[in-house]
Amino acid sequence: MADGDIFEQLKQSIIDQDEDEVLAAVDKALGDGVDAKAIIDKGLLPGLNVIGEQFESEDIFLPELMQAALAFQAAMVVLEPKIKESGGADAKKGKIVLGTVKGDLHSIGKNILKLLYETSGFEVWDLGIDVDLFQFVDKAKEVDADIIAISALLTTTLIGQRDVIEALKDQGNRERFKVIVGGGATTKEWADTIGADGWAASAYEAVTLSAKLVS
Amino acid sequence: MIDLIEVFDRAETGPLTSETDYYMKRYVPKLAELIARYKIKWDKETIINSDDDLTDRVFQAAVDLLAEAGAYCPETNRVMEFTRDEILTACSECPTKARFGEGRERKSMKGRRPDTTDDRPWVHVGGGIYTTDEQIFVDTVEKMASFSIVDSVSVPSILHLRGKDARVRSPQEVLVACQTVRLAREGIRRSGRAGLPIINGISAASQPASMFAASYPDFGLRPSDGFLIDFLSEMVVGYEALQKVAFYNSISANIGSTSTPLFGGYAGGAEGVAVTATCYMIMGNLIMRGTYHYNAPLHSKLHLSSTKPLIWAIAMSNAAIGRNMGYPMVNLPYLGGGSGTKQYHYEMACYMLAVVTSGGNIFSGHPAMAVQADSLVPDDHKFHAEMGLAAGKLTRAEAEPLAQKLFPLFGDKLKDPDKGLTFQQVYDPRTKRIVNTEYQKNMDEVRDELAGMGLEVPVT
Repeated sequence: MADGDIFEQLKQSIIDQDEDEVLAAVDKALGDGVDAKAIIDKGLLPGLNVIGEQFESEDIFLPELMQAALAFQAAMVVLEPKIKESGGADAKKGKIVLGTVKGDLHSIGKNILKLLYETSGFEVWDLGIDVDLFQFVDKAKEVDADIIAISALLTTTLIGQRDVIEALKDQGNRERFKVIVGGGATTKEWADTIGADGWAASAYEAVTLSAKLVS
Repeated sequence: MIDLIEVFDRAETGPLTSETDYYMKRYVPKLAELIARYKIKWDKETIINSDDDLTDRVFQAAVDLLAEAGAYCPETNRVMEFTRDEILTACSECPTKARFGEGRERKSMKGRRPDTTDDRPWVHVGGGIYTTDEQIFVDTVEKMASFSIVDSVSVPSILHLRGKDARVRSPQEVLVACQTVRLAREGIRRSGRAGLPIINGISAASQPASMFAASYPDFGLRPSDGFLIDFLSEMVVGYEALQKVAFYNSISANIGSTSTPLFGGYAGGAEGVAVTATCYMIMGNLIMRGTYHYNAPLHSKLHLSSTKPLIWAIAMSNAAIGRNMGYPMVNLPYLGGGSGTKQYHYEMACYMLAVVTSGGNIFSGHPAMAVQADSLVPDDHKFHAEMGLAAGKLTRAEAEPLAQKLFPLFGDKLKDPDKGLTFQQVYDPRTKRIVNTEYQKNMDEVRDELAGMGLEVPVT
């Protein structure tokens, strides 16, 4: 099979959101001697781009996005050791520390963003919901993150986003990390007021913004 | 109906599972299977469904969803399971009216059937939008309560204490919740209708401690008001919600079970939202022991509820419950257009036509996706209640062509909605009369346009 056909098969298996199909396509590609990084870059990630576009245009929804992400993650379990074995470079676009602020228990928007980040090639540390502000700061320092992404749905929890930025300033770490904010109660004006590096109205916009910030 | 302690026990004894597995192995595949099993399909055009067979299939799917997927308690990591018999018994014993208010204002919100044109739907106005100033808060509530057609109000939220933000779960939040209730009751008293119920208790309280504190009788709320208890993420019943259920059932208060299924989230598209929204109302009765339901499906990206598939799904869930349970319900519209804009009025008219003809009661909507401070302008809400009363004289089939005419007037603007006005920009601060001529002109023109389409909206 020509490489182009192999990559098309890999891409289509992700679009089909079928984990077995993805693993079979990866197995076949490796068997044909295709490099693990090329499998990701030319096969799986283009498939995930299509999934992202379908999600944005409401042709598919969160469950399908999750299925595609789980299939991708299963493939990465096979491929990452092979990249390391061959001494290949890290395939990730950037490192993201993500969570919903202290006092806010809403998770769906944050979960969607996590999936979109992962399917766009970012490495993500999801701290979950109701996250203490120093958890954001400490985790970002620990993993040497590029971006801290903070979600807040409730108007009464917005100030948790400001607090993270203040803590970074107090510690002299503000310039070390980009901070982006989003969530139902946030606005561009709010992001500007607290000195965030960016605001996104949707998860898809957040990923696009993050890609710009790390480029 | 199984008793409340047994309901709580289900959160302690159900099967253990992680949240991800609950969604990916139970809820999501079961929902997809039920949509296929019951052949539930939105045709991408209809706004107001009037196919009763489809409506009843949505209800059956909702019953099966709860019976076969259960609800999830994150504190115990257990699935709360209920048998089909337990669910159907609860549906058959569901309250069909909720008694609110005191004295002359004591009335019943009833569960309505679709296409009922000879009753007067309950008229609820207002919203939990936050205000920046306590004087505006009192004036806003007084003005809403003074409209004679109004049966109950939702009151705004105060988020500041001495000019500073009241952080969620802080002691300041407790004080702000108490102050919100005190000022709301004061505003209602000033209208001369002291018994009028507040049924969004308590929008400024995020935690049980704040809700319970503000429920102290001296602050002005009573069991004959309404207390909202919400589900969090899809199908999640957390301990905080169950704590509120325990308390408000212990004082025999009206509980408004509240749900916000997300279009584009775990529920997927229109069909999944219709089934899930219906399921929430079944759970609201069985688990939360509600006397009424706040139905608030929302678009996960646009943060509003006036897209075509969402209006279809919301109306469908109203009809499914109206035909099969009779649980009293209102629908909380989050609209894109700002206060006083034509877009806001068009969205509201389309939404009212859909939900009121499908069995919902009247609830005016949140403008500007509820994020603009001071954007609760009472005369908007009166106008929208009047739209609801006009819609109540129509059947779903009669309302559908009107909704189809209205949708193109705002559909393309939902991604970048028109900005609106604030309370201060509309009213004279002393007389509380409308002084913004553009505001009044917009409203008059929309009223004329609606009449031209065949929907007469009389001024009350």
